[in-house]
Amino acid sequence: MFLDNDNLKPIYVQIAEWLENEILSGNIGHDEKIYSQYQLAEMFNINPATAAKGLNILAGENILYKKRGLGMFVSSDARELIREKRKSQTLKTLIVDLVNEAKRLELEDEELLNMVSNVIKECRRSES
Amino acid sequence: MIIQCDNVSKFYKGCHAVENISFSIEENSITGLIGRNGAGKTTLLKMIGGFFKPTSGEVRVFNENPFNNLNVSSNTIFVDENMCFPKNLALIEILNCAKSFYPNFNESMSKKLLEYFSLTESKKHRELSKGMKSTFNMIIGISSQCPLTIMDEPTTGMDAAARKDFYKIILKDYIANPRTIILSSHLLNEVEDILEHILLMKNGTKCLHMPLIELKEHAIGFSGREESVTTLIKDRKILYKESFGKDSFYAVVETGDFQGEAAAAKNLGIDVKTVSSNDLCIYLTSPKEGGINYVFDKE
Repeated sequence: MFLDNDNLKPIYVQIAEWLENEILSGNIGHDEKIYSQYQLAEMFNINPATAAKGLNILAGENILYKKRGLGMFVSSDARELIREKRKSQTLKTLIVDLVNEAKRLELEDEELLNMVSNVIKECRRSES
Repeated sequence: MIIQCDNVSKFYKGCHAVENISFSIEENSITGLIGRNGAGKTTLLKMIGGFFKPTSGEVRVFNENPFNNLNVSSNTIFVDENMCFPKNLALIEILNCAKSFYPNFNESMSKKLLEYFSLTESKKHRELSKGMKSTFNMIIGISSQCPLTIMDEPTTGMDAAARKDFYKIILKDYIANPRTIILSSHLLNEVEDILEHILLMKNGTKCLHMPLIELKEHAIGFSGREESVTTLIKDRKILYKESFGKDSFYAVVETGDFQGEAAAAKNLGIDVKTVSSNDLCIYLTSPKEGGINYVFDKE
């Protein structure tokens, strides 16, 4: 992954999201040790303090837990927590944007819902 | 605190190069000193390095006055493009000399870096191009592993690849051997990833000093119809504004606590945008509100 400085998200949020993706994809399992701030700093060429902030966000949300002197580990319910968080935050924001754009285009509710269900169908078809 | 500046001013070359600056820098951190040309960055660094005496105020480095101070000098390296080396010594001889001055000097790294950047050991310093000089000075600066490493515009003249490598070298060596590093630059977008703190200067004064991760949250941009944006931000300090099209408007304000306004903005059809660190620094150090447009705006 390349960090994107023009991205509106601060680097430490991008780090936190990358770690979340690693957990969601199963690259790092539960109760496994996650990268240290120094490993992340070297991997992404960022200041260790920035990397630490990314890790601390996840620790604050109980996605990671600290073992004194050993570093940070992935919680047993990390994947569930991430999924819940993204559903209630990321996905919701995307939907609000979608609805606002539809309003700007004076779309009927029905029309918007149809478009959404069509995209869902298309995705299913390409998967199978 | 490694560096402590209290109300420091320097009258230099007929102007107030540094005016009443106070700040402190903690041990083992990388600070970026950012500012436009002539903001006073070099003058400030030279006072910290012990080259200049402040006109008023007090500078403390390792809790001592750095001016004419051997202890500070032996624990500090100051890298800039005017580093003075004997004209007729070969690069390898300069490295050997540096080793005798700096007890932590990492000889094997300095030689590897010399080789990596294709700098021939037998070449003389005066035979190097501008970019190669900067690269060589940087190699001395990093390899010295001084508790206080000051680099004034270290990447001047380096090509894009060398700059990229340079930032990696700094970071890797900082992780392996933590120390206090100050980098001055006017290219924030290039250095920001490796910084922990930013010290922004404008016209000799301190504009802001904060952890870099807070900088992105320091200001916020609103774009939408001029009328609604102006109403929304009427009580705020506007850092930058620009209008385009018939009634499109973009304004950057200090964030403060904007929770309520974010929701209000959405209802008014206003987009809330994060402001990149680089843009924010440009807005904060711009001499005129609205930047260069001021020159071209019709009366």
